[in-house]
Amino acid sequence: MIGVISYLIFFLILALTFGIAVMGLNLQWGFTGLFNAGVAGFLAVGGYTHAILTGPARDAVFGGFELPFVVGLLGAMLASGLVAIVVGLVTLRLRDEYLAVATFGIAVSIQLVAVNWEYVTGGTLGLIGIPNPSKGLADGPLRQNAIYLGMVVLVAVLAYVGLQRIVQSPWGRVLKAIREDEVAAASLGKNPTRVRLESFVLGCALMGLSGGLYVGFIGFVGATDFLPIITFQIWTMLIVGGSGNMKGALLGAAVVWGVWTGSGFAISKIVAPEWQAQSGALQAVLIGLILVLTLLMRPKGMIGEDVHVSRHAADTT
Amino acid sequence: MRRLMTAGALALGATFAISGAASAQDCPVKLGAILPVSGPMGQVGERISNTGAFAVKLFNEAGGVKGCPVEYVLRDTQGQSAIGVDAAKSLVDLEGVAALIGAVSSGVSLPVLTSVAVPSKVVQVSCCSSSESFTALAEEGKTEGYWFRTYATNRSQSAMGAKLTVDSGFKKTAVIYVNTDFGVGLAKRFEQDIAKLGGTITSSVAYNESQQSYRAEVTKALEGEPDSLFLIAFPVDGATITREWLALGGTDNLIVNNSLRSSDYFEAVGSQYLTNLVGYDSAQPRLASVDTFNELFEAEFGGPPDGPGLHSVFDAVNVVLLAMEASDEITGDNIREGIRAVTADGGTEVYPGVEGIQRAKELIAAGEAIRYVGATGALQFDQNGDVQAPKMTWKLDGDENVETGYLSTEDVAELIKMLDAN
Repeated sequence: MIGVISYLIFFLILALTFGIAVMGLNLQWGFTGLFNAGVAGFLAVGGYTHAILTGPARDAVFGGFELPFVVGLLGAMLASGLVAIVVGLVTLRLRDEYLAVATFGIAVSIQLVAVNWEYVTGGTLGLIGIPNPSKGLADGPLRQNAIYLGMVVLVAVLAYVGLQRIVQSPWGRVLKAIREDEVAAASLGKNPTRVRLESFVLGCALMGLSGGLYVGFIGFVGATDFLPIITFQIWTMLIVGGSGNMKGALLGAAVVWGVWTGSGFAISKIVAPEWQAQSGALQAVLIGLILVLTLLMRPKGMIGEDVHVSRHAADTT
Repeated sequence: MRRLMTAGALALGATFAISGAASAQDCPVKLGAILPVSGPMGQVGERISNTGAFAVKLFNEAGGVKGCPVEYVLRDTQGQSAIGVDAAKSLVDLEGVAALIGAVSSGVSLPVLTSVAVPSKVVQVSCCSSSESFTALAEEGKTEGYWFRTYATNRSQSAMGAKLTVDSGFKKTAVIYVNTDFGVGLAKRFEQDIAKLGGTITSSVAYNESQQSYRAEVTKALEGEPDSLFLIAFPVDGATITREWLALGGTDNLIVNNSLRSSDYFEAVGSQYLTNLVGYDSAQPRLASVDTFNELFEAEFGGPPDGPGLHSVFDAVNVVLLAMEASDEITGDNIREGIRAVTADGGTEVYPGVEGIQRAKELIAAGEAIRYVGATGALQFDQNGDVQAPKMTWKLDGDENVETGYLSTEDVAELIKMLDAN
């Protein structure tokens, strides 16, 4: 019983941490129509920044400022946001598939920089000893993880509330206008390029926050934490949960992460070890199947888009 | 919202139904394994997992741990740290495993260690993680003694690669390496070591896993007309690279790391092209225990244990199970002490196989000290959980790989000392 609760807490920490990144992607894709295929790269920037700011000082490696946890998270958001500004200025003129390819390439580049820039990122050794604030506040993994879950829930709620306010504001309406018909929006005097950049940067800042929370929990960051498969996972979470809806983003994170890990658990229980290599491949098929079926049969996702014209318009839509 | 609640309740109910009570003392005794059986390391991980399961099977034939059968519970990490960490937590919390075997890549083993094994006080023994970060972490006391590995670190690998290259008479070496923590670390060290032994590198090119073609990387590596190629890769991609290297006119003087000492690789490339291939690996010391393992393996799997990590995972499982046998109560702390106890000097030597384990159990029951000597020889762990191992060099003779040289643990230590001194 305790074991189940302990596991669920751990599961939820990861699901919600990813959920924050999914909300960021939702802002970019669900509301603004930006196809960001470089999610893993921004998670990496946030994760490494948090590690550099909060980690212990080491000789061979830059950083180790031993700053407080919250400072690390804010720094992660800032760093991801800055990288997003640079990337955005260069790529946001591109559309759809070109933007996807460009952002994907950037994410791979960021991962390679992480592997090779030893002085800053620890290179292949990564950065060890990142402090987890819950360790000092309680004893034993159950209590510590419960505390960390509380922190993640708080951050997720803050992000959710903040994002809901933003997308239901005039600025949020411009996002949707750009997504639907950019020429019309421009002709009405809106500045699509600038608003797209703002949306991109904000979304990436959230991804950085997610990366920081992940690294703060695990206590270690390495280049193989942020491979392209993570981009795929975050995207699947958004599609399945429902793009254009922040609740859908969080729900999708929990559901997809649950299916991914739950199918691993089921395979481990049902299939004999010598056959698990084959069933591992089946697991990949299962995830792909869920994604394709969602796109075919329920493209809105589990919760469809939350159509809101204005907070002040009550329920007249 | 209601649908959300129902879904949540269903999931919770399902978890309760499946997991049941997770108590470490009941039969069967569960041994958890977190290994990459799918993904780019899938071929390697699958063989490692099967060998680990084989070790468990033999132990069970010898009577299990304290009369209870051992259950080998495998979770696929897919080579991703987030999945690996979740899998490990699930094994510890839901399955109630008494110890963890794994993972293969350091990028997965380390997160598992820091976020699951150490907090839950579960011993984790890796067959295959070679990063020096573990040594650093242990030296800072962060592993609390729960970490062991039956595989020597990268340091000895690069030393061997450099020595082999220079001893073979090559002066201008190209390096192609897999762009993971393992490959990058090894390539960097190799460049430093080979410079100290008088060789030179013409170019050093990284490649990303699971691509269809590596022509670009190979073309880049061919610049400077190298007389040899040091290839750090895994079987599938390694074969693609080798074929393209040879097709584009590269020399067939190849030096490869241990993970290419695999029939998958030789067959994929074609052994007729690999006549000038040389490589290194952790040696199986010249001991009866190793022959015993080789024979047992051959009988079970119909082929020699010629892949990376097979000997080390076999020993990892055995030392953990013997440590459990030697403990009054199966807890992480007891297993931690027990692993050192069953490999300490002065104990009566016991070897792999059903008779060997039975003998070990009898000695333990009689209160006597044992010393497990296994597939990797008389392994011993230093205070950081690291092992040293002898090394060997090999080449291909037709379809067989044959040993061409052997360096004892002391020889390897000397070599490393010499390289570090310059």
